[in-house]
Amino acid sequence: MPLMTTEELDPLIHAPARLKIVATLAALPDGDNLSFTRLQDLIGLTPGNLIIHLRKLEDAGYVSSEKTRNGTSSLTTVELTGSGRKALERYTRSLRDILGGV
Amino acid sequence: MNQTSDLAADSGNFDPRRAAAVLSETTQQTRREIEPARPWLLTVRGLLVLGVGIVFWLSVRGQHPYTGPTTSVIPLAVTFGVLNTIVTLTFARRATLGIGGRSRLHPAEIALLAAAWIVPYLLMVPVANSGASTSVAYYVLPVPVPLIAAGLAWAGISAARRRRRPCGTGLAVAAVGVICLIAGPIAGWLAMGIGLCVVLLGTALVIVRGQRRGVVGA
Repeated sequence: MPLMTTEELDPLIHAPARLKIVATLAALPDGDNLSFTRLQDLIGLTPGNLIIHLRKLEDAGYVSSEKTRNGTSSLTTVELTGSGRKALERYTRSLRDILGGV
Repeated sequence: MNQTSDLAADSGNFDPRRAAAVLSETTQQTRREIEPARPWLLTVRGLLVLGVGIVFWLSVRGQHPYTGPTTSVIPLAVTFGVLNTIVTLTFARRATLGIGGRSRLHPAEIALLAAAWIVPYLLMVPVANSGASTSVAYYVLPVPVPLIAAGLAWAGISAARRRRRPCGTGLAVAAVGVICLIAGPIAGWLAMGIGLCVVLLGTALVIVRGQRRGVVGA
C-alpha cells in the first residue's frame, strides 16, 4: 500500500487549535453540547481565536452552534455534528496510516 | 487570502507526530475534566463504605433475635450519607458545568433516583409500627431495597442513553442489594460494605483505563 502524505490530512482539522476544538467536542457523549466559555476554559484559547476557528469548522458543517437568550444574558453552545465526528474518525485513521509508515 | 490558503497557513508545518500527541492529550484531558465521578473520590468512598459496613456488622453481630444496629452507630451512617451526597454532587456539578444535551438528567429521572433512595428509609418506622419483623423494618428496607431500586433505576436511565459503563455500575449495585438480601440481616451489613467497595473501586479502575485509552495508536 502506498504511504500517505500529510496533504491527505483534512486541512480543516489539521491545525493545532481546530484539532483541540474537535477532539474536545468529540470526547463528549454523542448528542451533548458544550458552552462556549467551558470550551474556552478546556482548550485555553482567547475568545477571538476560538470564534475564528469555530466559524471555519461551522462553515464546513463539522460543528454547530446555538445561541439562547435568557433575559439579559445569553448562552452559546457548541456541538460536534455527525459529519464532524466522521471527519475526525477519518483524520485519526489517516494519522495512524501516516505514523504507521514512519 | 482565500479560504484554502488560510487553512494551509493554519496547518503550516504541523507535524503528524505532534498532531497525534495533541489529539491524544486533548482527548484524555477532556475525558478527565468532564468525568462526574472522580476515580480518587470513588476510591475514598469505597473504603469509607467498607468501614461503615464493618462497623454496622460489628454492632449487629451476635444479635439473636435481630434488633437492628445500635443507636451509637447510626449517626456514623447518617454523617457518611450526607457528606457522600454533598461531595459527590459538588464534584459532578463542577465536572459537568457548561455541558448540555442528551446526557443531562431530566427532573423526573432525578426525582426517581431520589425516591429510590429516600422512600425505603421513610417507610422504616411505619413498617416497624405495623408489626412487621425487625429484620424487615431495620435491615431489608434500609439496605437491600434502596440498593436494588436505585441500582435498577440508574441502570435503566443509563441504558436509555446507551451508556454502558454507568448501566453496568447500576446493575452491579442492584446485584449487591440482592446479595445482601440473600445474606440476611447480620452478614448482609458486611456484604453491603464489601460489595459496594468492590463496585466503587471497579468503577474507578474502569474510568482510569478509559481516560488513559489512546486515540492514535497504543
